[in-house]
Amino acid sequence: MTTTLRMLAAALALFGACAAFAPGPLAAVPVLPQDIEWQTNDTDPVFASPDARRGGTFRSAIMTFPLTFRTVGPDSNSSFRSAILGNQLSLIGLHPNTLNITPELATHWAFDPDKKTMYFRLNPRARWSDGVPVTADDFAFTLEFMRSKHIIAPWYNDYYTREIDRVIVYDDQTLAVVSTKAVPDLHLKLGIAPTPRHFYKALGEDFVRKYNWAVVPNTGPYQISDFRKGKYVMFKRKPDWWGNDLRFFRHRFNVDRVKFTVVRDFNILWEYFKKARIDTFAMNFPQYWHIRSKTPQIENGYIERIWFFNDTQQSAMGLWLNQDREIFQDRRLRYAFAHAMNVEKVIEQVLRGDYFRLENGFVGYGPYSNTEIRARRFDLGKVDEYMRAAGWARGPDGIWARGGKRFSVEVSYSIEEHTPRLVVLKEEAKKAGIELRLQRLDPSAAYKKVMEKKHDVAWMGWSTSLRPQYWEHFHSVNAHKPQTNNITNTDDPELDRLIDAYRNSLEADERIDLSRRIQARVHEIGPFVPTFMVPYVRQAYWRWWRLPTPPGTRVSGDLFSPFDSATGGLFWYDEARREETRQAMRERRPFPPVTRIDETYKMAFLK
Amino acid sequence: MKLNPLTIKKIRRFQSIRRGFYSFILFTILILLSLSAELLINSRALVVRYEGRTYFPTYGRILPGTTFGLDYDYETNYRDLKARFDAEDAGNWVLMPPVPFNPYENDLREGAFPPFPPSAASRHFLGTDIVGRDILARLAYGFRIAIFFSLGLLLINYTIGVSIGCAMGYFGGRFDLFFQRIIEIWSNVPFLYVIIIISSIVVPNFFILILIMAFFGWIGMTWTMRTVTYKEREREYVLAARALGASNLRIIFRHIIPNTVAIIVTFAPFSVSGGIVALTSLDYLGFGLPAPTPSWGELLQQGWTYMDAWWIAASVITAMVVTLITVTFIGEAVREAFDPKLHTVYE
Repeated sequence: MTTTLRMLAAALALFGACAAFAPGPLAAVPVLPQDIEWQTNDTDPVFASPDARRGGTFRSAIMTFPLTFRTVGPDSNSSFRSAILGNQLSLIGLHPNTLNITPELATHWAFDPDKKTMYFRLNPRARWSDGVPVTADDFAFTLEFMRSKHIIAPWYNDYYTREIDRVIVYDDQTLAVVSTKAVPDLHLKLGIAPTPRHFYKALGEDFVRKYNWAVVPNTGPYQISDFRKGKYVMFKRKPDWWGNDLRFFRHRFNVDRVKFTVVRDFNILWEYFKKARIDTFAMNFPQYWHIRSKTPQIENGYIERIWFFNDTQQSAMGLWLNQDREIFQDRRLRYAFAHAMNVEKVIEQVLRGDYFRLENGFVGYGPYSNTEIRARRFDLGKVDEYMRAAGWARGPDGIWARGGKRFSVEVSYSIEEHTPRLVVLKEEAKKAGIELRLQRLDPSAAYKKVMEKKHDVAWMGWSTSLRPQYWEHFHSVNAHKPQTNNITNTDDPELDRLIDAYRNSLEADERIDLSRRIQARVHEIGPFVPTFMVPYVRQAYWRWWRLPTPPGTRVSGDLFSPFDSATGGLFWYDEARREETRQAMRERRPFPPVTRIDETYKMAFLK
Repeated sequence: MKLNPLTIKKIRRFQSIRRGFYSFILFTILILLSLSAELLINSRALVVRYEGRTYFPTYGRILPGTTFGLDYDYETNYRDLKARFDAEDAGNWVLMPPVPFNPYENDLREGAFPPFPPSAASRHFLGTDIVGRDILARLAYGFRIAIFFSLGLLLINYTIGVSIGCAMGYFGGRFDLFFQRIIEIWSNVPFLYVIIIISSIVVPNFFILILIMAFFGWIGMTWTMRTVTYKEREREYVLAARALGASNLRIIFRHIIPNTVAIIVTFAPFSVSGGIVALTSLDYLGFGLPAPTPSWGELLQQGWTYMDAWWIAASVITAMVVTLITVTFIGEAVREAFDPKLHTVYE
């Protein structure tokens, strides 16, 4: 009771303070427009299993202990950040299968005709982990927070200034978020997350140090309950989480505790997993799936495996040709180069057929992907044809040459594990008369070299976003100068026109059409040789962990992700099966080995 | 050529130390074999007899498949050609080297994945590495690179180290003091890190790597040479040479260095093994010569990662142990042969 009172007093004091700073009685009280149409989503299919039961501890591992629990500011961009942010809900989410908007902290939303503004109505039950209700003001504070110089996060300072114009608070439950400009897919941008004003109060110079290890109130199902620096972090489920009964959160986030232990070595991690000190293990590497899986725990069925195909944006992994190099200025030579890359052989003979040929730089973007494009296949005849047409002839060492110049290019890469793939490509390219000089650089040196456009061919992949981005990679504005993502120096007026149209359009249909045409044009120009994609996840897990049917969503990247608000927390713990397994292990009684292959969401053109 | 009787005595003494002498012979043979590696371990045939003409494809330009009536323009696959000629039995023949693989090619098969275990039938006598390259081929060519690397390194290190060391000892005084400080500073630079930093920015080739390593490697020799020269310069023959009006350069190079050669020669074999180890460890860490250069360090790295493929680690470790022991035995024998005291026991 006293606590409540004190909090109330604090809240009042805070409001008082705000009132004191307000510009006075002249300030107009914002009025919600009357003609807006509120929408919600209570019709899309649910994807969690009603069989799921609560309980158990899920033990996972992290390679290094995070340097801070802050999610902004210095050292905050570690992989652990996603565990913290996973419990920080936003106004709205995206349905992983239909990609429609789903409610999170907001129950309803509406679009303004100006294509810059979205209105939200908050869920009155939404609470911070310390019991304080989430109010519209917490979103206004997000803007103040992200724009503050004290958080030492220039990127966020910039983004929340240049992209988000303001947050309008109508009352405690109603707000609007305004973008600085009209953009397509507005909802992807404006569904921001709240920041607890009652926790941070005023920000100061000491922000970075003060909040290094602070457990900030959050709105998601779990909160950090305990940690030892360098050893582990424990998350505990909130006993009566406000979101338990929301349509898309029901039967999810089932385990009581999630413990992340620091295991610094991948081989040791595997040993931990085999001893059941870790519950799941990622098996995307062919080495683990095919060879290391031959252990008694898997062969006796105590550990089960799953190969789950998803349908999500694929990294544009491949060979990026620098068209400012004389040799790649001729389109025929670019085509010849593409036909000299025996990617299929690498897939079959080095990668055990586990990877798939990437057909285009933009696979998995739903309707935005042009699925008719096929990557140029290894074809000595075509190499011959293009090279002869360009006036080249084979030299004494079998490499194409013309006027004292040989078709010999440097391939810069940075991941040691990719060397086996590249040596096979190199040997095959030699047959086609093209010499690849492999140059492995330290990642930052490789990055610098490519960013300064000093490479011949860069072997690399790009991270993905929800919609394909063309301007940074292929627009001539970014060509022929350092520090831009147009690493192929593509400079094509026709492509520029399409990209500009794509960037300026706000209509989804038009953008989809343009997107496909841009991809076709890029394929025609041929500055990029797509190589591999991994449109699936493979995991092993102790058999007392259960998954729904289908085991994941269209975009699931990890079936045992405990937190993520869109796709996480679908699995659950089965105490009875655990007892059964323990008993069987004691009696050395095997179960039939289980390897599930789920193709529910496998990309259509792979089937 | 007439040898100094003292030298002859030293050679005799060296020959009488069996372990060292046989190691020396073995080592020489290994180097000679590695020099002719193209004739022993190669995917190119030694001799091809085709329609009345004889070809020797080992050295020189590539012979495209069309030369032998095949339908492709790239280099002939002589193993396939041999199988084909044997099957046709039309008087054409191919003579392949004992190990018909070069160190770069991937011998991949349908339905199986490298590394393949050793097998005489497939002619991979030591098996293949994780991308299907013959381990024996990579060991042999890697040995050639490693040994010439360390000889080259030795030459540069000793040239610089001996010159500066002698000069320090001979001139003494401020020159000596100055260089001592320089060397102290120099030797405090963590040289492995510097090499790693440099090679992560520029990918070094054979000669650049030697230069980088020599940049830090010459220090070791200076201290010894400085001390020895200090001792020698006080001897009467130096005084005599000076009295005759010999220049400093002449005194150092004609009188002092020949008299300290025992020290230099004694250190050399150990520097050779040091060079091999240095290159191997750099390759192991991935900062040595660029892929796909055959290298022991890379094999060691593979062997460590793929412990199940025991033949990778076993081959390269055996090869390293044999080479390093051989070099060390030679070193010991040289040291003993040059030792003026006849009965010395090394512990």
